[in-house]
Amino acid sequence: MLVLTRKLGESIAIDDHIKIRVVQIKGKQVRLGIEAPKDTKIHREEVYVAIQEQNQQSASVPADKTRSVAKLLKP
Amino acid sequence: MIISTSRFGQVELKQEDVLTFPEGLLGFADLRKFVLLDDPNDEIFAWLQSCEAPQIAFPVLEPELFAPQYKATLTKSDLEALKLTAQDKARYFSIVTIPDDPTLMTANLKAPVVVNVAARMARQCVLQDNNLAIREPIFTKLQQRVVQNPAVAIKNQSSGIDVATKLHVVKDAEL
Repeated sequence: MLVLTRKLGESIAIDDHIKIRVVQIKGKQVRLGIEAPKDTKIHREEVYVAIQEQNQQSASVPADKTRSVAKLLKP
Repeated sequence: MIISTSRFGQVELKQEDVLTFPEGLLGFADLRKFVLLDDPNDEIFAWLQSCEAPQIAFPVLEPELFAPQYKATLTKSDLEALKLTAQDKARYFSIVTIPDDPTLMTANLKAPVVVNVAARMARQCVLQDNNLAIREPIFTKLQQRVVQNPAVAIKNQSSGIDVATKLHVVKDAEL
């Protein structure tokens, strides 16, 4: 992993089109400003972790569970 | 071809039933081949079954069943990965989680499985829209759907499930 030191207001350029700037430093929190092409996906890593967890839990649903839910939903 | 599944036993498929996920799914990057199965024993769900890992299958629903206004915006890279030229050719499925108490069931609207039916390719696309939930509660909404239209099976109220393969379980005698 590449590790860089930046001061408040300084930026990092990734490829030619992505710029990440340190906008604010407050205690243990850093606010980052990100400039990127519209098509670039930018997510907090927690989003991916949460989706992975959701997938893991979904994969353990037994077949009879969906059948019982289907019956439960019928009036 | 015949695949093994932990839920449905041996299932017979045609080669063209198989969907390729070039990058797998989040948390399941090694699994690339799946099939959408339509379980005739329930009126609501389809299953996204791994062809490679018998125990891995996800119940899926079409998001419009519980989120009629659902709109997913795919990025250029999503479209390229799916070999899609226009978004309207894609079909969307939400992965559902059903806990012990089924009234707490949720669906993932943030990261739908998007299927290019013609190319038999699929991808779990993480959408940029921050208003979409990873765990959207859906039990009540599905219930309303059933109440509004009790005569028609939920599966038949949506357009995408027809891309699922009817579950054909191979009996021992056929093997």
